[in-house]
Amino acid sequence: MKKILLLVLLFLPAVAILAQSRTITGKVTGPDGKPISFATITIKGTSTAISADVNGDFSIQAPPRSVLVFSATSFQPVEINIGNQATVNAVLNARDALTEVVVTALGISRTQKSLGYSASTIKSEELLKARETNVINSLAGKAAGVRITSQSGTVGGSSKIIIRGVNSVNNTTVNGNGQPIFVIDGLPIDNSAQQINTVNSAVNQGTSGADFGNRAGDINPDDIETITVLKGASATALYGARAKDGAIIITTKKGKKGQTSVTFNLSTRFDNALKLPSFQNEYAQGNQGTYNIASTNGWGPKISDVKDKTFTDFLGRQVTLQAFPDNVKDFYRTGKTNIYSVSFEGGGEGTDYRFGYTNTTQSGIIPGEKLNKSAVNFNAGRNILKGLDIRTNISYTRVFADGRPVESSNNPNVLQSIMLTIPRTVNIQDVKDNYVDPITKQQITLTPGRTGNNPYWIINNNKFSNTVDRIYGNAVITYNPVKWLTISDNIGTDFYNEFRKGVTRPGTIGALTGNFFTANLYNRIINNDLIVTANTKLTKDIELKVIAGHNIFEAQYRREQSDAQSLTVDGLYSFSNAGTVSTTNLFNKRRLVGVFGDMGLSYKDFLFLNITGRNDWSSTLPKGNNSYFYPSVSSSFVFSELVRNIKWLSYGKLRASWANVGSDAAPYALSFAYLPVATSFAQYGFGSQFPFNGVIAFTAPGILPNANLKPQNQTSYEIGTEMKFLKNRISLDVTYYNSETKDQIINLLVPQSTGFTSQTVNAGSVINKGIEVTLGVTPVKTKDFAWGVDVNFSKNKQTVRLPGAVKSYVLQSGWSGLQIKTRDGEPFAIWGTAWMRDPDGNIVIDPNTGLRRTVNDQKIGDIFPDWMMGINNTLNYKNLSLSFLVDIRQGGYMFSNTSSTLRTQGLGKETAENRGNIFIDKGVIFDQATNKYITNTVPVQSMQDFWGQFITTNTEGSIYNASYAKLREVRIAYRLPSSFLSNKLKFIKGLEVGLEGRNLWIIKSHVPHVDPEVNFFGSASLGEGVEFNSVPSTRSYGVNLRIKL
Amino acid sequence: MKKYILYFTGIALLGISVSSCKKYLDINQSPNSAENPDPKLLFSNASTQYINLRSGGDMYIPMGLAGQFMADGGNNPNAWGAPSAQEYTFSVFNYNNSWNTYYLSAGTNLKQAIKLSEDATPKNNNAAAQCKVLLAQVAYELTTVFGDVPFSEAWRADISYPKFDAQKDVFLGINALLDEALAQFDEASPLKITDYDLFYKGDIPKWKRLARSLKLRVLMTMVDKDPTQAAAIGQLITAGGLVNSSADNCKIAYQNVAGRKNPKFSLSEQYNGGQSFFFASKYVTDFMRPLNDPRLPVFFTKPVLADNYYGIQPGEDGDDDHDARFSSTLHSATDPEVIYSYQEQLFFEAEIQARGLGVPVNLVAANTLYKKAVEESCKFYGISSGNATTFAAGLPDLTAVIDPVKLIHYHHWVDLIDRGVDAFTQWRRSGPDGGEVPLLALPVGAPAGPLFRRYEYPSTNELSVNPNAPAKVLFNVKMWFDL
Repeated sequence: MKKILLLVLLFLPAVAILAQSRTITGKVTGPDGKPISFATITIKGTSTAISADVNGDFSIQAPPRSVLVFSATSFQPVEINIGNQATVNAVLNARDALTEVVVTALGISRTQKSLGYSASTIKSEELLKARETNVINSLAGKAAGVRITSQSGTVGGSSKIIIRGVNSVNNTTVNGNGQPIFVIDGLPIDNSAQQINTVNSAVNQGTSGADFGNRAGDINPDDIETITVLKGASATALYGARAKDGAIIITTKKGKKGQTSVTFNLSTRFDNALKLPSFQNEYAQGNQGTYNIASTNGWGPKISDVKDKTFTDFLGRQVTLQAFPDNVKDFYRTGKTNIYSVSFEGGGEGTDYRFGYTNTTQSGIIPGEKLNKSAVNFNAGRNILKGLDIRTNISYTRVFADGRPVESSNNPNVLQSIMLTIPRTVNIQDVKDNYVDPITKQQITLTPGRTGNNPYWIINNNKFSNTVDRIYGNAVITYNPVKWLTISDNIGTDFYNEFRKGVTRPGTIGALTGNFFTANLYNRIINNDLIVTANTKLTKDIELKVIAGHNIFEAQYRREQSDAQSLTVDGLYSFSNAGTVSTTNLFNKRRLVGVFGDMGLSYKDFLFLNITGRNDWSSTLPKGNNSYFYPSVSSSFVFSELVRNIKWLSYGKLRASWANVGSDAAPYALSFAYLPVATSFAQYGFGSQFPFNGVIAFTAPGILPNANLKPQNQTSYEIGTEMKFLKNRISLDVTYYNSETKDQIINLLVPQSTGFTSQTVNAGSVINKGIEVTLGVTPVKTKDFAWGVDVNFSKNKQTVRLPGAVKSYVLQSGWSGLQIKTRDGEPFAIWGTAWMRDPDGNIVIDPNTGLRRTVNDQKIGDIFPDWMMGINNTLNYKNLSLSFLVDIRQGGYMFSNTSSTLRTQGLGKETAENRGNIFIDKGVIFDQATNKYITNTVPVQSMQDFWGQFITTNTEGSIYNASYAKLREVRIAYRLPSSFLSNKLKFIKGLEVGLEGRNLWIIKSHVPHVDPEVNFFGSASLGEGVEFNSVPSTRSYGVNLRIKL
Repeated sequence: MKKYILYFTGIALLGISVSSCKKYLDINQSPNSAENPDPKLLFSNASTQYINLRSGGDMYIPMGLAGQFMADGGNNPNAWGAPSAQEYTFSVFNYNNSWNTYYLSAGTNLKQAIKLSEDATPKNNNAAAQCKVLLAQVAYELTTVFGDVPFSEAWRADISYPKFDAQKDVFLGINALLDEALAQFDEASPLKITDYDLFYKGDIPKWKRLARSLKLRVLMTMVDKDPTQAAAIGQLITAGGLVNSSADNCKIAYQNVAGRKNPKFSLSEQYNGGQSFFFASKYVTDFMRPLNDPRLPVFFTKPVLADNYYGIQPGEDGDDDHDARFSSTLHSATDPEVIYSYQEQLFFEAEIQARGLGVPVNLVAANTLYKKAVEESCKFYGISSGNATTFAAGLPDLTAVIDPVKLIHYHHWVDLIDRGVDAFTQWRRSGPDGGEVPLLALPVGAPAGPLFRRYEYPSTNELSVNPNAPAKVLFNVKMWFDL
């Protein structure tokens, strides 16, 4: 790093000296005569560029007759030939919706005004405001209709995007799972979050309980120029099936002609746990008030009542009991992130290049948790012949992460289940200092029994790591044989190898003989788009643009995984050191061939019509049924062009679109085929591995396949308007959309007595309707001060329609009877065991015990929010800017296992109340005599019994409203005045210092003990609304320094 | 130049899109699976999944605890602990996983193996019959655990919502399936499952004897509710050809290799430093101790300080200085999972003679059979042949006791200590409510009400998705055969 810096410092003054003798001065202003601060002035065809100062004044050395290019953010660039003048004043017009260009499907650039659908664009400055290692997270709260859920506090953990609600209800589609397609410079890339289960289960548990992240997290935010979120089917119709859940179109940064520059961006950030549980600090571990060292709970004696007694602690010492209020908090440390990036960019006539390097080192809040990410990107373009351009863009990313905590269940390394049950009397320093016996080298457990893995034994020995080596890139050849015709071919590939390893040291309770696994995941995508574009004016007012194209897409996935059990030599994770090794492999491949066309008509630049059509042939559907066509129509009408006399209306547009999109199935879902079996299940995880007694085994499929599948079909329409008022001081964008996805390819749960768990059928439909509103207001704008408010709001209503015979559809099964399920005409909801209620809604109490009665399989609460809102305030005073983003979710429910654990174990703060007193639960009992429900008068036996009802099997006991309001981002930035730079530090083009914070404050939440946002199902699953031993999410804050040379 | 590039591109475009498209897309043949595997591979899977269910934590432990032949040790820190299935706190996993194994991993694979065997050319009759016998056994266990269950319409892709058959019809259907298998066995044919038959290695005569004995066990489960089945019992006994030596024992042994050990052993090995979580139940030790039963040290480990083998009242706290725990000799790494044993056959025959089920009452014959059964049980559990004979000979004669049938039942129940669900079924069929052997009390800490009688139907896997399913039935409600 230091070396690079030195090199650059030596090199740059030389560049500055290149300027010639003649001095040109002038002022850059807007059409209103007000100065435009810090406009960039470039001498065309050279690399010389300077900045105007805050008053728009500039001074530049330029040779006679050169052309100056004036540019500034949000303004249209202007070129002026200086001739022999010494003073040049430039007037720049605001870049507005009329000229704003948006990159749409297949990389087709279109003007904002011509779009018949809504598209949200997020610029690089926004992404770098408060840096996130996973680029998905930085979209949170920034675009209407885009909902981001971070899955855990794991460093490099996964994040999920849902755009305009979940459209598809099949959880097993390989390229589906409700996630949008990610496209970088025209290349669709992989964003999977592969779960590799060692425990055969519908939910992530065992080794897959560790969050290895989703692969979109590999994208380096520093290399991104813009992100466009295409939400509706009409926007994504040209991508077809792959974009049925939306598209994230990323355009990377390119070198700019004539500006050679070097940019450094240095960030340091600190993380701590956003929300830790609230513990009681009065009671020790035990049972019904009696101390027991074997317990990891808080049901023992009141500490203050036994001050004069001594008890055996986990180290065998006789101690007086005392509470350690911060023993869990002190386990977590402050995580630290350093992001260093450097980029070189520039270009000459017909050539441009950009080289970027970013290194991220991050340590998590859990000791031993770390991540190291390096990303190199090279983007270069050249004109090789007249009309023939080539461009290539290559990125290499390496991610290494170690100490990833295991979440969920059925693995002895699940950290949270240990941390949440540490008795209050345990000093965490004792635990830390004594996790291994110095003589026997055995683990010192928290209890003498089976429940007490020492957390430091886990984090110091049992490491889960992964390494990703990934390259993606493409080459584009563009040929303009004649002015009206462009032929381009974009070929690209994305491939990576991910190596995962998880070790469990012998001596770990639950795996006393030790084990480990390794897995190699290989993924490759190849994509080729051949596009021919013709552009012609039919009449003076009517312009026609026709695009025809051909697409080939192939995705291949391969996995080899080995599980080794029973290790002989301690600490040696070699397969030859294992008593048994079981290896499994998996391969799948899918292909898609498509032809498409797009016809765009425009009339006088205010009326636009676009018609697209695409036909796909998919390898995953039955041969006779594998072709499907989907059309789209979209139109836009800029009515403000017709009513130019209305002063307060700066811009007005109406838009409407309709599309129909099909989609295919997972590979190999058609034929009845038998799969090899590696293990045979037995409860508590100790079944048999094959070969067993010398024989191997195959199994019939659990899901009854369907040889006659049809493509899934989505019809959607949207209408909207974009308006700007009072000289663009107010902008408003409103969209209403409606999409119905029919013939869902689903695995319909069937009674297991049929011999199958489910059956693949085309059935049911999902309807998503909603509105999105984006409002931008600039209440104050003076010469030095500006205040802007941007609000985005979205509301989505999901309805699932099921065929008559199907009573309900289960999207995902959780634990202990919890399911994410729907019935005809309803959205997805959490179902499970609920409290029994009388007709008036009062909880029914069992008169024998004073405890609540329960009923199975009840609908408890919807999982999706009613609405989401992001409010961003930006305040600028001279060179100082402050922005803060508040993110609000309203509605929907979640299940919290953390809450359940803390309550049943008597450790949550609320469990300290009423102990030793008579407690009568609020509810009713059934009075046999009168045949009526009467107010409950039966006390519970103990508070331990009372809170015992909140076990995970009683789903409702741990269900909460998942609404929240969060202070998502805060940033204070100061940019050094260019006047100062140009006087004192000439070689620096820009310098900016920022203080940034993310997830700073949960302003409002209804969930105790945890952040309402975490979700254990992972980004690979459609299910959400369940927290199960998740690592606490983090709050981060730090400083950022950006220097442009 | 320009033209050339144009033409070239056009031709390339056409070429790619039209000519090779079909072939290019024809890749949907899975490299991960087989469409027509040897049925033996499904049979081996079903066998292994089935025995793992029986010896694992979804069947052996809850059945042992709720059925009270073992004790959870209450609040003893190194015990399984309360509340557990002993206190009638059942995990829905127990219900779900057992249902799942019976219908899916065992049932479907056997059903598909039968289809593959019968569709093969030439038809593999023995393989189909071997699968049918095991399927009959799986269905028998299924109905004894859950009661009325889908059987006649189960395992069929064309019926989405199978109806639940009355238990009696399930029993009769099972015996019809066993008859079908007996008729299908073809001893002359070399086509059969041999190396992948972990029970008998393809010994067809043994399979036929097992099939008849399984029929007998079904009838013995039915006969108290439906005494007309006695005639069929008599016919089977008279016809013979039943399991007739310990060489006929239907079992699969686990291996002393990591990942292939008996789950009962692995649980103690991986979680509890090799010590069993489970205490002896006084219902077992109080019966065996006065007999000075040589199997006591095989079944249990007694504390150094204890003078003899004492069990605890189920649900009580275990005392590590006094009370015996299950031993690692019984729950060893290689402990086999037994489906049917020779001693079990002898206990049934002793009971038949003592009760006169389809044969005249003959206490003398019954006495010989019961002593032979206990002797075989001792030998099975590793007692030397001499000691076993001596011990059996010294047992009280049936003619000298007040209730000989009860004595047979008690010995039969004790022999089943390593077979959770079978012990539970034996207890339920040993007498009417309040007259079972042994007479069990409500475990300490269990909610007031009747004793444990069955597993509840799994809600999510069946009840909520099958419109033909009955309403929920609680764990303490008796099923058809259970008086």
